[in-house]
Amino acid sequence: MANKKINKKDTGKLLTEWSKEFTVLVPSREGDSSKMARWDGMDTSFLEWYRNTVIPSKACPFPPMEAIFHFHKDSDGYQLEVPALDKQKQLIFGIRPCDANALAILDKVFEDAYEDTYYLSRRKNTLLVGLGCTNPYESCFCTSLGSGPADSANVDIMLADIGDEFSIEPITEAGKELVAKTNGLEEATEADDTRTKEAKEASYQKVTRKIDVKNTADKLLACFENEEYWEKVAAKCISCGICTLLCPTCYCFDINDELVKKQGTRFRSWDSCGFSSYTKMPMENPRGEKWRRVRQKVCHKYEFYPMNFDVIACTGCGRCIRLCPVNWDITQTLNSLPSKT
Amino acid sequence: MKEMEQKLQNEAKALLEQGKVDYIIGFEPGSLKFTTTPLITRDKNDVGRMVIDSFIVNNLADFLTELKGRVGIVAKGCDSRSIVSLIQDNKIARENVVILGVPCAGIIDLGKVEKLIGKDRDELDDIGREGDKVVITADGKTSEFLITEVLFDNCLGCELPTPQEYDILLGEPTLPVVDKTVSQKKIEQLKEMAPEQRWDFWKSEFSRCIRCYACRNVCPACFCERCFVEETEPQWLMPLPRWQDNLMFQVIRNIHVAGRCTDCGECERACPVNIPLRSLTKEMYDIVGELFHFKTGMDIDTLPLMTHYEQEEAEDFIR
Amino acid sequence: MRQEPEWEPKLLGFLCKWCSYAGADLAGTSRKKYPASIRAIKVPCSGRVDPLFILKALRLGFDGVLVSGCHPGDCHYQTGNYRARRRMAITKKFLEYMGVEPQRIQASWVSASEGGKFAEVITEVTKGLKEVGPNRLFADERDGTEATERG
Repeated sequence: MANKKINKKDTGKLLTEWSKEFTVLVPSREGDSSKMARWDGMDTSFLEWYRNTVIPSKACPFPPMEAIFHFHKDSDGYQLEVPALDKQKQLIFGIRPCDANALAILDKVFEDAYEDTYYLSRRKNTLLVGLGCTNPYESCFCTSLGSGPADSANVDIMLADIGDEFSIEPITEAGKELVAKTNGLEEATEADDTRTKEAKEASYQKVTRKIDVKNTADKLLACFENEEYWEKVAAKCISCGICTLLCPTCYCFDINDELVKKQGTRFRSWDSCGFSSYTKMPMENPRGEKWRRVRQKVCHKYEFYPMNFDVIACTGCGRCIRLCPVNWDITQTLNSLPSKT
Repeated sequence: MKEMEQKLQNEAKALLEQGKVDYIIGFEPGSLKFTTTPLITRDKNDVGRMVIDSFIVNNLADFLTELKGRVGIVAKGCDSRSIVSLIQDNKIARENVVILGVPCAGIIDLGKVEKLIGKDRDELDDIGREGDKVVITADGKTSEFLITEVLFDNCLGCELPTPQEYDILLGEPTLPVVDKTVSQKKIEQLKEMAPEQRWDFWKSEFSRCIRCYACRNVCPACFCERCFVEETEPQWLMPLPRWQDNLMFQVIRNIHVAGRCTDCGECERACPVNIPLRSLTKEMYDIVGELFHFKTGMDIDTLPLMTHYEQEEAEDFIR
Repeated sequence: MRQEPEWEPKLLGFLCKWCSYAGADLAGTSRKKYPASIRAIKVPCSGRVDPLFILKALRLGFDGVLVSGCHPGDCHYQTGNYRARRRMAITKKFLEYMGVEPQRIQASWVSASEGGKFAEVITEVTKGLKEVGPNRLFADERDGTEATERG
C-alpha cells in the first residue's frame, strides 16, 4: 500500500476522525510532567513540545495501579468479582519507536506461561501510530539496540516528520485497514517518499550515545561475582524507583489487598527491584545490599531477559539516564564492564 | 571556582594518602550536559576528576548514613547543615567526617533555564556564569539573564552559603545571592488560596506521583532503615500510587523530618514528575523557625528540635 | 419516607492513660453530659502519639482528631507531653497550610480530676466539627470512594 501524508495543521481533523472508532491517546502534559492520555478533542499543541513522555507508554496496557478483583464475604463464603475486561479500542498517537518496541518486549513476559489477560486485552485492542523522532535526547541510545528513531518494527502505522507534513506509512494489516478508510489523507508523491527517507536517515545521525551490546551477556556473566566492581558501580545509587518505574520495559508489580470491613479489592501496582525491601522476606533479604540490586537490574535487562526471551530488555529510551537524581548512567556501566580477572 | 577545585583535589588526595579517611565523596562531571554526579571513591587516582561548579546540586550528606568508615565529604552550606543535623541526631560521629566546605554562590536550576530559553537542556550549547549574570548560548545565539533568574528557589532563600562547621574551607566565604520574594513566591501564592483550593491543588499535584520515593531517598534527613510506608502491621497506607496515599506519604514525611530539613531542595529537584515538593518542605521549615526559633544544623551543640522542649512555649492552640 | 439521621461527627480521641483518660472516666461517673462523638483510644502518654496516627484517622474518615494529655509539668513520664506539644503544634499548622480545616485537629490538657473540663472540651470540639461538616478530604469526587484504577 502506498504511503499517504497529511499536513500537520490537519492533525486535529485526523484525530477527530479516528476518535469515532478509538479512544485516542496523545502526548499530554500532566502538570510539569507528561504521559499518553486521552485526547481532549481540541489540543494539538503537543506537536510543539513533544520529544518523549515522562511516563512511558507501558502505562496504557499496564497501568500504575489497577484493581484485579473485588471481593466480599457473605453467608456462602468469599465472592469474587473480576472487573470487566477493557474492550474499548484504543489508539496511541505519536508513540516513539523505543516505547513501541518496549511493548513488544513486554508482550513476551505477559504471554509466557501465564497469560496476563489484564495486559493482553488492552494490548490487543490498542493500535499504535508511531512517530519517528527528529530530535532525539542526548540520553537516547536506541541505535545501539538494533533499533533507531525511525524504527517501525512494532507499530501499526508509522509517521515521519517531513517539515510541514507527516508522511503516513501503514505497516501492519490493522494499520493498512485503518489508513484505507481514513478520510482527508493525501497520496504521498515520490518526492515525499524521498523526503521521508532522508528524514529517517538524518534522525539516525542525531543519536550520539552508543553502547556495544556484542557479548554484553557474556561479559556480565563473567563479572557477576565481582563484588568489588559492583560496589563501585552502585555507590552513588540511592535506591529510589525512578529508573525502573519509568523504564518502558520494566514490569515488576506488587499485589496488595485492601480491606474495608468485610469487602475489599486486590490491586496490583508498579514495583521496583531497586527498593531496599523488594526482596525482603520474613527470614532474609537476598538483595538487601544495594550493589546486589544494581547488579540485578543491569543483568536482568542485558543478560537474563535475553537468555529467556532472546531480546535485551532495554530499548535505549534514555529515561533512566535523564531522570536519575544522581545521574547514574547504565551506558557508562555497560561500556566499562570488566573481564573476570 | 577553579582554585577551589585545585585545592579540593589536593586535599582529597592527601586525606586518602594519609589514611585519614576511608572514602572521599564529591562531585565529578556527569554524563549529561550541565550535570555533575556524585563521586564516591577510595582511590586517590579518582580525585583528579573532582569538580566544583554551578551544577553541583546533590546533597552528599545523603550518603553518610550508609557508608561505613571515615568520610571526607564535599559540602555546600546547606549540605553542611545536613551533616551537622546528622551529628546532632547521633547518626554519624563528628570524628568520622572530614568536612570539605564549599562556599556556595548558588546552583543553577536547569528547569528554570529551560523555561527561559524555551529549549530543553540538551539543546543548549553553553551556560556560563559571569558575575551576577548568566550567559546562555543556544543555536549560536546568546542570551543574558540575571543570576537570580536561574538559581534554584532554595538557593535564592539561602541562609548559609558557607559552611560554619568544616574541617577545610576550600575558598573565601561567600555571600548568598538571595531574592526572598522569588524564593517564597509559590508558597505565598498557595497561602492566598482558600483552604479548599489549596487541598485541591495538592490533590491534583499528587495525582501524578508514582511513588518512586526519590524524594525520600535523596533526603539526608530520611535515614530510617524501615520507613513507615514499609510497615504492614499496622499498614498506614497502601503502596498504591493514588493521590490519597501519595499525599499522605508526603505529609507524614514532612512532619517526620521537621527540624532536620535544611531546605536543600533535592526532593523537589529529584521528583521525576515535577511535583512542587519544596512548597511543602519550606513551609515546614518556616513553621519550625517561627514556632521554636529553630534553624536546622546551624550549631553542632544544639539539641535536635523534636527531642528538645522549653518549659513554656507555644500552646495557644491547646484547650 | 425515611428520615435520614442527622449527621453526627466522629471524633477520634487519643487520651493519655494517666490524666485525660481518667478525666474522661470522671466525666462519666460525674454524669457530665457531652456529645457522644468521641471514640477514645487510651495511650500511655500523649507523647506516644505520632502525627501519623492523626493523618491515618483523617484518612479513615474521622471528622476530627483530639490528642489530650497531662498538663505541662505533670506528665507521668516527665517529658512526654512536651514532645506532644511540639508535634501537635507543627502538625496543626502544617495541615492548615495544606488546606485541612483547623477545627479537625485539636489538642487539650485534661487532668484526671477535670471531668468537667473533659466534657466541655468534647462539647466545643464537636460543635466546631459540626460547623465544618463531614470529612470529605480523602474522598474521590467521582463516586465518593477511592480510585480503583489509574492510567
